[in-house]
Amino acid sequence: MKFRLLSDSDLVAPKKLTRKGLIAGAAPLLVAGPLAKLALADNPAEHDHLQLASHTGNGQAAHGHAAMIGEQAPAVGGPRDLDALLYPPKPLPYRRGRVREYTLTAVDTEIEVAPGVIFPAWTYNGTVPGPVIRATEGDLLRVHFFNGGSHPHTIHFHGIHPANMDGVFEIVPSGGHFTYEFEARPAGLQLYHCHSTPLKKHIHKGLYGAFIIDPKDARPPAQELVMVMNGYDTDGDGSNNFYTVNGRSFYYAKYPITVRRSQLVRVYLANLTEFDLINSLHLHGGFFRHQATGTGDHWEYTDTVMQCQGQRGVIEIEFANTGHFMFHAHQSEFAELGWMGFFNVVD
Amino acid sequence: MVARADTAPGNARWRLWALGPLLLLIAVVAAFSAWGDSVTGLLGSNPPPLDQVDVRRVEFKPGEIRIRVTNPQRDDLTVASVTVDNAIVPFTLDGPATLGRLRSSTIVVPYDWVENEPISVGVTSSTGIETVKQIPAAVETPQPSITRATGYAAIGFLVGVVPIALGLLWLPSLRRAAPKWLTAFMALTAGLLTFLAVEALSESLQRQAALPAGLGGAGVVLLGVAISWLGLTAVSHTLSKRGKSGEGALGGLALATLVAIGIGLHNFGEGLAIGTSFALSELALGSFLIVGFMIHNITEGLGIAAPIADGGKASFARLATLTLVAGAPAILGAWLGGFITSDLLAVLFFAAAAGAAFQVVTEVVRYVARKAPGGITSPYVLGGFIAGIAVMYTTGLIAG
Repeated sequence: MKFRLLSDSDLVAPKKLTRKGLIAGAAPLLVAGPLAKLALADNPAEHDHLQLASHTGNGQAAHGHAAMIGEQAPAVGGPRDLDALLYPPKPLPYRRGRVREYTLTAVDTEIEVAPGVIFPAWTYNGTVPGPVIRATEGDLLRVHFFNGGSHPHTIHFHGIHPANMDGVFEIVPSGGHFTYEFEARPAGLQLYHCHSTPLKKHIHKGLYGAFIIDPKDARPPAQELVMVMNGYDTDGDGSNNFYTVNGRSFYYAKYPITVRRSQLVRVYLANLTEFDLINSLHLHGGFFRHQATGTGDHWEYTDTVMQCQGQRGVIEIEFANTGHFMFHAHQSEFAELGWMGFFNVVD
Repeated sequence: MVARADTAPGNARWRLWALGPLLLLIAVVAAFSAWGDSVTGLLGSNPPPLDQVDVRRVEFKPGEIRIRVTNPQRDDLTVASVTVDNAIVPFTLDGPATLGRLRSSTIVVPYDWVENEPISVGVTSSTGIETVKQIPAAVETPQPSITRATGYAAIGFLVGVVPIALGLLWLPSLRRAAPKWLTAFMALTAGLLTFLAVEALSESLQRQAALPAGLGGAGVVLLGVAISWLGLTAVSHTLSKRGKSGEGALGGLALATLVAIGIGLHNFGEGLAIGTSFALSELALGSFLIVGFMIHNITEGLGIAAPIADGGKASFARLATLTLVAGAPAILGAWLGGFITSDLLAVLFFAAAAGAAFQVVTEVVRYVARKAPGGITSPYVLGGFIAGIAVMYTTGLIAG
């Protein structure tokens, strides 16, 4: 299904741009938003592949933030590319003495972080962020680590574990191997990342991922999503050129995440942004509960959370309305450099 | 004996032999292109390309920004992402995305920019290297039109022709001046031309430094200086023969013509700079600034008048011609700068202006050395020369 979003060239373009002119130019966009929603609601089958074509058809798109949805969003790849990072493995109910095994291999991989922009990354299993590791509290976690990269690496897990499993002293040389083994605790959203020095380089290059430990008393069933916030400094000047969730800028603007209004949505949100350390998530058109680190009894009711590098939390949302709801870093700069996406809430 | 070399039977063969080194060079270059990697391989790995684009020109239209980029490096460069004020924006390319050496493309960004506010554009290559260009104030880029052409002509006329015509009105007073004072004014002409030469040379070198490395080094400035110096030397030679001055030194109208040519080349550069600044919205050229240039340039009229004052009569038509030779290039320069942007051309023009001015300085100094009552080291000559530089500097402050 194609429909057009009004662009301000539909108006008689004011000869000189003034503030007044801009406001006048924006008016059709304000109207176009709800129209777009209505049009979409007519045809639920098309929700996954949103196409917002501009009428001129030559890239003269409606300008700005609001227009960066569907094909207008400059994102890499196809609609299901990041499913393995977005949808975590299913939680398993607590069972005494269970062993959970994962294999992580560090590899030097060139990844495309924005259309045509190649970043020479260091990855766990070829993606940035690395795969989602999940265990239930009390499981014995066994992670086989192979270093296929060109530099020495480790895996440092957040959580409670012995000193020799901390991934700080046991540096794994290129071509080396190490097995991390410890009991998964405490319940919450943990992290893992490389702890070789220079630390900033090893983290920024992409060696990190989400590590979910489910509580013994299982959380209520929900549609679960993982969002790891990060950034890429592609020109080495110490500040990021692109910001993303799950590794590709504007990916969820191009491919909105479809969720059901009737179902609880749980987002495991972590911040592994290097250089600009504070990141955030703001949800449009809704409020959610946020549990810092996914531990403890304190839930904040809000629409914006802020995390420093290494902080994380669990978010639970019940959407009140259907339609497209934006989510993005509430650092406008980050949002406009790629950390912006949409939920497509359907019945 | 003399003819022997021409008639020797082996002569043609030795001429052919001259091609030998060239053919061998082609062979060696071909061999290196084929197997050269093994030679550079001995030195270790090759560093990756810098991948910085050269942002040549940023134009603002209603709802649109156009960014002209050039690849300054040997390796190909691909435009992958574009930012405006550090925000990623959708864009289209008028030209290829992957640019070969010194090839250009225009990036077209639909964007509601804010008038008169600073803005920055960034172009990111496929290797993630971002080149950012700051624009001090976003102003709609004017499009070529008859009105604008007339506007440039008017500005060129005001800063070029008018002050020189006014300066020439000193001619009657100069004619009645004592010889020592006249040489003082001639020395003043030499001083002001030296000032213009240094200014033009500095401008040329600065612009050259801003060129992409692929367009060569500072030698191109020397090329411009040498061409205009030698060209003007030839002109002065022709004029001196025609003027039958016998001693090989110019005087009177001929010298005034030379001074006018030198000043004209400089004013061409000045017009070019003004036109370019207007076109790139870099200069808010108010009426005050034009007044400044006018005051600055009236001294140039004096410089042309001084040699004539010593050299007899000059018809009104001749004076008008001199005025146009010296002043009208400002109009041409403003047109060229306003409608075409070629940084390499600008470097060459300013270098030519410097070379011409230096050449005319030597002619004027020779004239002064010949004519000055107290010789070239008389206080009138030295004072006049310094005064010429000082006047140009002081009035330049008004224009600057």
